[in-house]
Amino acid sequence: MTDLSRRRLLTTAAALGGASALPFGLRAQEPEKPAEIIVRAWGGVWVDSLKKGVSDPFTAATGVAVRHDLTEDNEIKPRIWAAVDQGRIPPIHINWDTTANATSSALRGACEDISDLPNLANVLPLARPIGLDGVPIVNTYAYVYVLAYRPEAFPDGAPTSWNVLLDPRFRGRVALYNDGIGFHPAAQIAGGGTLADIPGDMDACWEFIAKLKDQQPLLGEDPDFTAWFQNGEIDVACTISSNAREARANGVDVAWTVPQEGAKVDTDGMWIPKGLPENELYWAKRYIDFALSLEAQQVWLDGLGLPGVAPGLTPPADLAGDPSYPTTEADFAKLLLVPPRIQAEHTAEWFAKFKEIMQG
Amino acid sequence: MTDPDARPQSGSGLGPATGPETSPETGPARGGGPAYPLSWRLLDAIEGLAALWPARASGAVKWALLAPALALVALLLWGLGVMADASLREMDFRTYRLSEDWSLANYARALGSGAFWATARRSLLAAAVVTIICLALAFPYAYAMTRTRSARLRKLLLVGLFLPFFIGQVVRAYGWLIVLGQEGLANEALGALGLGPWRMLFQYPTVLFGLVQYMLPFAVLMLAPALAAIPEEVERAAESCGASWPRALLHVVIPMALPGLIAAALVVATLTLTDFATPAILGGGTNDFLANLVYDQFFRTSDAGLGSAITLLLTLAGTTVAGVLLAAAGVAALGVRGAR
Repeated sequence: MTDLSRRRLLTTAAALGGASALPFGLRAQEPEKPAEIIVRAWGGVWVDSLKKGVSDPFTAATGVAVRHDLTEDNEIKPRIWAAVDQGRIPPIHINWDTTANATSSALRGACEDISDLPNLANVLPLARPIGLDGVPIVNTYAYVYVLAYRPEAFPDGAPTSWNVLLDPRFRGRVALYNDGIGFHPAAQIAGGGTLADIPGDMDACWEFIAKLKDQQPLLGEDPDFTAWFQNGEIDVACTISSNAREARANGVDVAWTVPQEGAKVDTDGMWIPKGLPENELYWAKRYIDFALSLEAQQVWLDGLGLPGVAPGLTPPADLAGDPSYPTTEADFAKLLLVPPRIQAEHTAEWFAKFKEIMQG
Repeated sequence: MTDPDARPQSGSGLGPATGPETSPETGPARGGGPAYPLSWRLLDAIEGLAALWPARASGAVKWALLAPALALVALLLWGLGVMADASLREMDFRTYRLSEDWSLANYARALGSGAFWATARRSLLAAAVVTIICLALAFPYAYAMTRTRSARLRKLLLVGLFLPFFIGQVVRAYGWLIVLGQEGLANEALGALGLGPWRMLFQYPTVLFGLVQYMLPFAVLMLAPALAAIPEEVERAAESCGASWPRALLHVVIPMALPGLIAAALVVATLTLTDFATPAILGGGTNDFLANLVYDQFFRTSDAGLGSAITLLLTLAGTTVAGVLLAAAGVAALGVRGAR
């Protein structure tokens, strides 16, 4: 074991030890350790970072193995819901999920309350979900849907507005998420509307997206953006900064910016489905609690290039001062936030409208 | 089940043994007893067991044989029943639970949605176009495969037929991403000629192209047995009566191959209509089929009610397509005995 990894193990043990100093339900003794806990995760850089920053140190410190289930977050959700409704043990212990998606599970009553995590007392307010009873989800970091672009296609410098997506030069060479996620507030502002009008009046958003339809955009998911930039299929896209950063790390010439209209900021979080045996619930909580610690977040989120909820994190060198890496109130004020509960309650409606435009 | 003229009876109490003294499976007889292949003995044992089946229950045999298939159909119908129930319940997005009451709201939403009609039109058109192209390409392939006198060519065609089955649909679709991409092999070749690059991916024709490539082996597989069942002598007889080969093909072979053509059309049309992966991968997100819309409702918006309604509408569309094909050709065209 290297000096660094030994030191890391000690800090991890300290972080977990600190947590166990105030155990869930004031336990005198730790409950039986399960052979493993299963954490649903996204693939690629996402799971690699989680493994390095959270799962491996957790296993080293507790002896509880962590298995990552790479089932899509949308696809695991109905399985969890069915298990909870039928009183079965759910298929995973922890769901690493978008907060908006997790909110739908919380509204359905499928989440355990995890308000007794000791580290919740030490993290930024961003970690606590807004508008829900108790703490069914903890947010673990924020991320921004940036305007990613190929610098070669922008010889005069970075684009400054989302309106660049409507430039005829980029017809057939722009990309969005295939459910429109991450783009609604930007389209609302770029289309002449205001953030405050969401969800009541989103005509500006839909008109902008309808114009964008004429640009023949490609619609995909996280891995598609990296592949499309890599294969020269697109010049500009609305995607999470981590995907653009990952593409750049793979040698693809990609840059990103937060345009003058702002960019949507969102959070991901973790939650525990109801129905786990008591001892497994305890260790699942320990895992999430550790994921909130400074030690875990520093390594995990360095890999993703995202700002965490533990105070005192050091930004990766390439992201210091980057508007897609908000760390202060002022940074967040420049971004566009739609509360997750509003997103959860309107997802189907917005999705239907987006599909109506894009498939028509 | 067994043919007494084809092989001797073993010592199963049905008669004296008169078979050979050696066999490839048993070797030479020892101890003077009869030596029969093991497979014969097994068949005789099964025959013996069959004798235990009460004669009064002989009418139940066909149902016993049909039971597994009927169980599968029952399972399918049960699933459709659950879907039908869910399709009549509306999702409350404040609690993410389906309503207690039944209504037709989900069907009204689906049928009032432009996205539904766009994807339905795209799916149905694809089913028609892909079926026609596949039949046109599969017929000569299957004909050559069943009629060629060259064993080498037949093997080559068989390998060409079965090889795609070893490569999954998703892998094949990804292969087209590499070949047809902006910096793919096709555009590289065009570039060498001073042409392009052209956007070949993420268009509706590309989706159709990918589907034809995927469905063609199914069509050949359905057609080949029908063509193989047509004796070559029939063609020769037609020619000896003065018909040219094209006329014999048109008036003799194709009508006789109708069961295979209809079966191939049914398989290709219904698989295309309900396809998910090819439009998802080659369509670039703007060329979805109905199956993609179903996926979206179940998994992206968690609206099991609307998803179920669209699923049932898709099932109805598939059944209609199959019904139209069968009505046009007649069920008898499938070679079903007694059908009119």
